[in-house]
Order: sequence, then structure tokens, then C-alpha cells
Amino acid sequence: MERGFTVWFTGLSCSGKTTVSRGVAKDLMKRGLKVEVLDGDVVRTNLSKGLGFSKEDRDTNIKRIGFVCKLLSRNGVVAIAAAISPYRAIRDYNRQEIGDFIEVYCKCPLEVCIERDVKGLYKKALAGEITNYTGVSDPYEEPLNPEVVLETGKETEEESINKVIRKLEELRYIPPAEAPSYSEEEKEKIQKRLTDLGYI
Amino acid sequence: MGLFDRLRFKDRRVLVVGLDGVPFSLLKALSAEGKLPNWAKLLESGSFKRMNSVHPCVSSVAWATYMTGKNPGKHNIYGFVDRFPGSMDVFIPTSRDMAGETLWEILSQAGKRVVVINVPVTFPPREVNGILISGFLCPNIDKIAYPKEQASVLREMGYRIDVDAWQARNSLDRFLEDLHLTLDKRIEAMFHFLEREEWDFFQIHIMETDRINHFLWGLWEEGDPQYGPEFIKYYQKIDAFLGQINAGLEEDTQLIVLSDHGFCGMKKEVFLNYWLQREGWLKFREKAPKSVKDIHQESKVYSLIPGRIYVNLAGREFSGSVRFPDEYERIRGEVKEALLGMRDPDSGEMIIEKVLKREELYHGLHYNEGPDLVAIPHNGYDLKGNLDKKELTYKGPLVGMHTYDDAFFYIRDVDIRRGNNQFGVMDVMPTILKLIGVPPPEDLDGQALL
Repeated sequence: MERGFTVWFTGLSCSGKTTVSRGVAKDLMKRGLKVEVLDGDVVRTNLSKGLGFSKEDRDTNIKRIGFVCKLLSRNGVVAIAAAISPYRAIRDYNRQEIGDFIEVYCKCPLEVCIERDVKGLYKKALAGEITNYTGVSDPYEEPLNPEVVLETGKETEEESINKVIRKLEELRYIPPAEAPSYSEEEKEKIQKRLTDLGYI
Repeated sequence: MGLFDRLRFKDRRVLVVGLDGVPFSLLKALSAEGKLPNWAKLLESGSFKRMNSVHPCVSSVAWATYMTGKNPGKHNIYGFVDRFPGSMDVFIPTSRDMAGETLWEILSQAGKRVVVINVPVTFPPREVNGILISGFLCPNIDKIAYPKEQASVLREMGYRIDVDAWQARNSLDRFLEDLHLTLDKRIEAMFHFLEREEWDFFQIHIMETDRINHFLWGLWEEGDPQYGPEFIKYYQKIDAFLGQINAGLEEDTQLIVLSDHGFCGMKKEVFLNYWLQREGWLKFREKAPKSVKDIHQESKVYSLIPGRIYVNLAGREFSGSVRFPDEYERIRGEVKEALLGMRDPDSGEMIIEKVLKREELYHGLHYNEGPDLVAIPHNGYDLKGNLDKKELTYKGPLVGMHTYDDAFFYIRDVDIRRGNNQFGVMDVMPTILKLIGVPPPEDLDGQALL
């Protein structure tokens, strides 16, 4: 593959971005593609270390991730970003900058995310212990026209991963997965046919 | 082509009959002897030219070149067997490995309807606007067709994918019986689709001519009293078939008949990997190597059928040890020189006519997948890739082999402006696009003959 592309997962905290993005990455790697995952939580410990959760800092964080995705994409890597990225304008800015950009919206009801609360942060936000928490005390702007919408409250992890992969195939970013041309038995049969003809 | 020609050719339909491995010289001789009356009649109005094939000269490479209009460096089919250098796993290249769009895919996109039957390297069948019945690399009739439902029509008909070539080693009579029945079924399938389907482009491929040539050519050439006449009889059946097609053609339909390579008698099979071992360029890790996967890291060179020579290159081959570029170039030079000096141990005749470097033959995105050298033998010596042979040459049941410069191209009612061997199999596809009035893609290597 000469050019890569960017798969951008957006959605509330605990909406399944990290889980599904890792599954998608694994599938693409199996197909021999070069893949890099930029997970929001991880990026905030290095590339965006020190940034807070004000609108300005959030925008800077998302632009930085977008910039790295752009560099990777243009060098033949599939860049997968998994970040809340709550503001539509910045996501759209990244889409414009990157070009080959597939937006995946992890749509999950807030109640379900609160129930999941893997990191215990919703609890703190609801108790007012942390401020500017998306969905509780900060806005989340839904994408208007994402390439994929995952109903992560209803779908299984596998279903969500498949939805993303099918869309990438449909958009011809990746070739459709096919069964191999031959089963082992068929391969033997054809090899024999070619051997009998003196062709192999 | 002038304006009037363009008008004349616009919106024509084209029917192609592919006769695998039929030499220009054979058709010319047999029709001159009055043995092929229908063919002789076709020759009265049309161009019949001797055409070049491709290197290496095998059907999968030649038909891939035909259907893409591109050199193997672009379409990525280099033989009936290939290897992934990174693992040295061996595989059979299929339509999925063939890069680029085919003639029928381009026509389909232009809204033309196509029917394609039995062309090599069309398995698994890729989508077309129409019907595609793939060829002898298909293991099972259920998987042969696009759309899939057409397979049941063929099954009911008793359609046969290919002959059983093993029979030729035991009983030539049974083999001949099989050849006739398979051809009959092929023709039956062709007329089934020809009569029922709408089409702008129709191609039928006859594989059986290649098969009879492999096992009976030598007998016919030597004047065998039993099988010589059987050989001619078979060609007369093909001749009658061509007559039947020609008689039924409508005014707006252009008939093309072609082969992909020529044929000549085979004196001996030549085992290049045995020779490479003997000369110290190839070593195996196993006593009885099963595939090129078993080659030793110290090997410099190995070969795949027919005459494809690969350097065991560090960074490319799994067990590669030859350094690029200095050692690579030195080894290619040494192997080339040694090959050109190879002689038949019995007769003392030279075996190799020339050795071409890959940059002399290929270009394109899949250039790196191609062989580093291609050895081209003198007629009569067929280069094989077996790994377990203990002698350089062998005379077996195969009595015919492919030739590069004796394929043929025929087009009815049209003068083509190139002389014999002034064009090749890759020029046919742009010619057909021009006849039908569909613009060719920009990256073709072939050029229209009109």
C-alpha cells in the first residue's frame, strides 16, 4: 500500500473506542498492513503531557493526534486514533488535513457509559470532584456524517469490529477479505494436474 | 486509423477463439496441404500473422499478458508456480494474484456485456458484466463460474474443466477419447452461451490443442502410423468448429482467432536445478528436497520452471545470502555465461539459446517479483524446475514443448499493418478495445494493431 489512511474513533469515555480500535488494528495487521494506534489516554501521557481539559487544551490535543495521523497516513501506515474528541470542528479540521479519513462514532448512551465507568471517573465527575468531564460537565458534539456508527451499547465487540472492517472494504481502503483460492485438498488436485502436464 | 475506419469499427462486437499453443507454422502447413478447409477459407479474407509470445513462454503468463495488455512486471503472473521470497512458500498464482484490470473488466465498466469461457488464470472468476467461466486452474465445477448459478448449467451439460493428462502416460487411446469428449463439451457450452446470451465481447478458449500437442506432437512429427493421423483428425475437428462459428457470424461481428505460443517437438527435458547443484550454485538442507523452501542458505541461485532463475538474495529470500548489488551482478553474469555453455551430454548440442536479465524483459510495480534471469532454450530442450533429479536431461512421455516466436493472430476482414513477428500477444487487447470502441487505459504496454 502506497498511501495509508486514518480511522478516527470518537465518542464518550467508556463508549468502547479503545476496545474496538484495538480489534480493528489486530485485524488489519493480520492482513499485512502497517498499523499504529494513537489512544487518547496514552497520548496524554507523552505527546500531550501537561495539557488539561479546557476547550483550548482539548483542541490542541486532538490537533496533535491528527498531525501524527497525517504523517503516518501519508507514509503508508494505517493510523487509528481513539480519543473522545468532543468538538466537531476539530474533528472536521483533522478530516480536511488528512484527507483519507474514516470517522467512526462510538454511539453509546451516557447511562451505559456511566454504568461501565471503567476508570471510575464518571463517579468523580458526578460527585463534582473533577470538572470539565465530557458528557457530565462538558459538551460532546455528535458527528453529523460519520462513515460508521457503532451502537456499542447494543452490539458485541466482534460486530462493531466487523462493521468498521466492512466499511473499509466497501470504501476500497482495503481489499475485501476472501476465502483462499484453494482448500488444501483442491490445491493438491491442481498441483497434480499441473505436474501431469509437466508444468511444475 | 482514419476517421472512416473509426466509424467503421465503432460499436462492433468481437468474438475471440483462443487456440492454446497452436503454432502459426502448423496452421499454415496444414491448410496448404488442404487438410483444414474452413481455415483456408478464413485465410482468403483476413490477416493471418505470426506473433511473438512472452518470456517465460507458458500459457498462464501469455494469457495474463493478453488479457491485461501489460508485461508481467505489471500483471505479476510469471508462471504456473511461484514463491513468496520472504518465506519461500510455493504457490499457484491465480486471478487473485494478477494485478490490473482485464480486457473483459474494462469492457464491463464501459457498459459492454461479455461472455468469457475457459481462459487460463481466470480462476477464481472475477466479476464481469456478463458471464465468466474460468479455466483449468479451477478445482471444482461448483466454483467455476461468475455468476455462480451458471455452474449448474455446466454441470448438467457434463462440462469438463480439463483432460486428465496422467492418462496420456498409460494409454494414449484413452487420452484421445478424453480429449475429444472434453472438446465436445467445451463447444457445446460455447454454443449454449452464444445462442442464449446478449454480448458485445465473446471469448472461447480451447485448451485441448495445447494438451494434444504436449503428448502427440512428436508422434505426428515422426509420422507415427496410428497417432499421426489422430493428431490431424483432432485439428480437423477444430477446423470444423471454426467453420461452424464463421458460418453463424453476424455482419457486425469481428472474428479473431489466436494462440498464445507456438509448439515444437521436444528432444529432452532439462533439469536446471540439478545442473545448478552440480555446478556448485545450489545446495539443499534436505537429502530429498520437497520444495525451494528446503534450499540451503549458502545457495547462490535456484530455478523455477521454465528457465526462471532467481538469485538467493539477502534481504529478499528467506534464506538469502547473496549481497546486492556487486555479488548479485557478478553471480548473474557467471550463471548466464555458464548457461550459454551448457551442452546436451549425449549429442553435444548447445541447450540454451539466450539468457535475458529481468531488466531486459520486465518493468512495472511487480518487477521485483520476477525472475532475475530467464534462460531461453533452443527448440527441443524444455527447461524444468524439478529438485530431485540426478541427471541433466531426460526423455519422457512429453513430446512437445512451447516456442516463443510461432504464435499466431488472425482477424477476419481487416488488414493489420504489422508484419510477421512485428508484434506480440500484448498488442491484441488494445486492438480489441479499438474494435469495440472503448478507450484503452493509459498504462497498457501493448499497442493496437489497427
